[in-house]
Amino acid sequence: MIPNAPEIGKLLFIICFWICAIFLPVWLVSWAVGVLLPMLLEQGSPSMAMTATAETLRALTPIISVMVFIPINAMFMVLYERRALALFTVRLGPNRVGPDGLLQTAADAVKLLFKEDITPRGADAFMFTLAPIIFFAPSIFGALPLLAAITNNHSLYQITNLPTGIFYILAAASLPVVALVMAGWSSNNKYSLVGGLRAAAQAISYEIPLVLSLVTVCLMAGSLDVVKIAQQQDGGILNWNIAGGGALRGLDKAIQTKLGVETTPLITPQQSSDPTETPVAAPTTFEEVIHQYYPFEFLSYISAGVLIFCSFILLGLYLTGACAEINRIPFDLPEAESELVSGYNTEYSGIKFAIFFLAEFTNLFIVSSIATVMFLGGGDNPIPQWLLNKMPLEPIQKSLGAILSPFINGLHLIDPDTFWAAFWVIFKVYTFVFIAILIRGTLPRFRIDQLMDFGWKRLVPLSLIAFLVVVFARVLVVCHG
Amino acid sequence: MDQYMILKDYVSSADAETALFYVIAILAISLSVGVISDRNIIRSGFILIGVFGAISGLFLMLQAQFLALAQVMIYAVGITLVVVIALMLTNPRSEREAVITEGDEFSQETGAVQFIQRLQQGTPAFVAVFSFFTIYLAIRSESWTPVTEKVSTDNVKVLGEALTTVYSLPFEFASVLLLAALIGAIMLAKAEKRQPAIESAED
Amino acid sequence: MGSNLIGRAFESFKRIGEGLRTVLMHSFREPITKTYPDTVSQIAPHFRGRLALSVNPDTGEHLCISCRQCERVCPDKCIEITAHKSPETNKLELIDFKIDHGLCMFCGLCTEVCPTTCIINTNDFEMADYTRESLVYDLRRLTLTQEESAFYFEAKDMPKPKPKPPKPAPGAAPAAGAAPAGAKAAPVGAKAAPAEGAKPAAAAADAAKPAESAKPAAAPAEAAKPAAAPLEATKPAEDAKPAEAAAKPQDSSTEPAKTVGDTTAKPEEKPTASPEVKEAEKEKAPEQGADADKKEG
Ligand code: SF4
Ligand code: SF4
Repeated sequence: MIPNAPEIGKLLFIICFWICAIFLPVWLVSWAVGVLLPMLLEQGSPSMAMTATAETLRALTPIISVMVFIPINAMFMVLYERRALALFTVRLGPNRVGPDGLLQTAADAVKLLFKEDITPRGADAFMFTLAPIIFFAPSIFGALPLLAAITNNHSLYQITNLPTGIFYILAAASLPVVALVMAGWSSNNKYSLVGGLRAAAQAISYEIPLVLSLVTVCLMAGSLDVVKIAQQQDGGILNWNIAGGGALRGLDKAIQTKLGVETTPLITPQQSSDPTETPVAAPTTFEEVIHQYYPFEFLSYISAGVLIFCSFILLGLYLTGACAEINRIPFDLPEAESELVSGYNTEYSGIKFAIFFLAEFTNLFIVSSIATVMFLGGGDNPIPQWLLNKMPLEPIQKSLGAILSPFINGLHLIDPDTFWAAFWVIFKVYTFVFIAILIRGTLPRFRIDQLMDFGWKRLVPLSLIAFLVVVFARVLVVCHG
Repeated sequence: MDQYMILKDYVSSADAETALFYVIAILAISLSVGVISDRNIIRSGFILIGVFGAISGLFLMLQAQFLALAQVMIYAVGITLVVVIALMLTNPRSEREAVITEGDEFSQETGAVQFIQRLQQGTPAFVAVFSFFTIYLAIRSESWTPVTEKVSTDNVKVLGEALTTVYSLPFEFASVLLLAALIGAIMLAKAEKRQPAIESAED
Repeated sequence: MGSNLIGRAFESFKRIGEGLRTVLMHSFREPITKTYPDTVSQIAPHFRGRLALSVNPDTGEHLCISCRQCERVCPDKCIEITAHKSPETNKLELIDFKIDHGLCMFCGLCTEVCPTTCIINTNDFEMADYTRESLVYDLRRLTLTQEESAFYFEAKDMPKPKPKPPKPAPGAAPAAGAAPAGAKAAPVGAKAAPAEGAKPAAAAADAAKPAESAKPAAAPAEAAKPAAAPLEATKPAEDAKPAEAAAKPQDSSTEPAKTVGDTTAKPEEKPTASPEVKEAEKEKAPEQGADADKKEG
């Protein structure tokens, strides 16, 4: 039927294989460091030193799992991107190393590690070495608060949560541009210098719409805490920030009351979510609930619509700004191959180039996961609660629970809360990555003056307008936060 | 949160805090010495970013998370980067030439003029010492009351309230100042209008 | 202006959406990539690939008349012909023919000027090699087999050359007898050839060709032809070479003879490359070359 079915099948197979290859090690390592070792340590003699070691191990779990995650994930994303781009351009893509090119990027990584590390003559050697480090470091520590959000506030990752989470992430995300300017300047190469300057100009201009769009979402949610923002959006697609930041929550609740569905969680008996209880003691009819959430009747309906529209605009603004921030293709002026011979990383080779590469793809992942947490409800499943309860999931849940119970209760290998959250997060994040690849396959590069025009004359005003509109519309509807 | 009891105790103990403070302070001071002593002006620009980072670490220790992050985002990355770029675009090697010409001038001047120039050179040092002592005395004075209770974790709320109530007037003044600077910059940077004669000639 | 701006914004969104959809729909089309080493696409007969010297497809005689036209016309001067005048027939005879494929730019001028359509561009493009020296092809590697020549004559739509008038010679019988006798006998045959004249040896080779085991003999016969000429004393090297070449194929004499210029003749030069060349030759064999998508086992 579809002439290209085998190729698509191969891509899907690669995705499945690599996602297993990424998340099984991450899962097992974090389990070993965070659960198993402390458990063993504390079992023997509950001495002070043992407990302290166990606690240190637990505290280090997030960073260790990130360290395991980043290289494998970058390998997968490169392969994913290359194969998907090949599909879009009616090609085959890498298909030689391993079955169907499965191991291509692993081989590439090995190759990069063994290449000679060259420092050009006349370069500022110290800065030249420092630049990749500064570029890479934020992608390790910058995304940590997200870990708490995407694992549904798992007890091991709670430590990474911050009350100013999203602001922390943004501050960390603004650091790499320093590294780009540094790399460009220290390479002693004009192309690199121009690339670095472009990177700085672009990052500074596009940071404004990026931050403003996220601030607007925070305004809708009433919090800067990513875990809080993620948990507010629990309970199906109607509660997500993309649907007006909770503007449709009333509708969701109303349908729930109408159908007389008890609010039961998906798989676990104790879901620790839903901190925002309904303000008044449960209203009983559809109309009552609607009235409670949309107090100004017609005006409220309109403003709910406006909010939904605005949140789509915000998502678009965020994705545009993020694309520019991480130098993805329509905004890849700093490393334009055809004009600047890869810009700031012209002079880099071997492991330093590998670090740049790694960080770039990690940044893409981080940006996508920010979008997931801020707009798409983090680890929430898209199916509304009332629909979910209609589905015949009960027997499946029971049997799954029976099979997995030794893992859940005995070894603590599986945390049912986190498991499904992680599943949905992975799904959503890689969908965003796919969209980024699709955009890369479609749009040509901006010219530098178009870039500046677009940033300052279109995106900045648009984000300000969206901010103002949301501020006013939000008053008329009962939203999150 | 009881799973990190010992660790938490250790981290928030006075010893650890003091040690951390000294580490960050030494880092900040040595980096700032680097800023003024580095011969390459662009390098010192980059080191300045490190100084701001260290200072934001100090803010973090005071539990002013929001301030620390704003420091990183706006001062360390935004403003310093723009300054560095401006330096790159002007003349990165000007400092060497300046040294050479200065030496030439000195040899040609007479004693009195030389003395005045020495004095001029000494002025920044004098200003620096003076302001250092001013700040030092201000900090050591008794009007500071140390706060012992925990700062609210919701930094943003406190800051927002302060800015819109007690400090709203200074805040507005600062905004007006920035606006004036912005307009001035635009006026300076605006391209001059073409002479009508040239335009007609082009036509 | 405002409405205009909004209209333009929507317009551009629509355009971008169209673009994204088009690109996404591309992923349902069959890829046009050919996985090259697995699938070799059909190459047009007039493709200008590696140069080769053809033989008469009917009789197997070498077509080159050593007129040096190609050498003269070559802009890169990458052809080097060694020939001399045979005292017997008073005709030019080819001793060696060297083309440096590292220098050649495949302009095809040499094939244009060749009066006997001897030098042709083959469809072979897989000439990657480890050294520059091995890109210099000598007569043995350049000369095609009868079948290959037939294939190219047909594919390129070239008129078939008329066979040269047959000249039966007395030496034919012994040489022909010696050749099938095997590798041991071959040196004898080669040695005998100088004494009895070149043509007979060539004729013997022609006669022996149908037989599979004649291959060792064919190569020396070709090479021996010029050496056969006048001065045995001054050309000992030429003499020794064919003998050696004849002795070498001893082990490979069981496999079917593919080309006269098969690399088995010079295994000491590049043993690693020779199987590859053989494979390339195999692919270019007429019956396989026609079948484009045939996969190499
Ligand atoms: S193809 Fe052109 S360059 Fe090559 S040998 Fe023939 S004439 Fe010379
Ligand atoms: S032009 Fe043809 S016949 Fe003449 S020397 Fe060259 S290959 Fe031989």
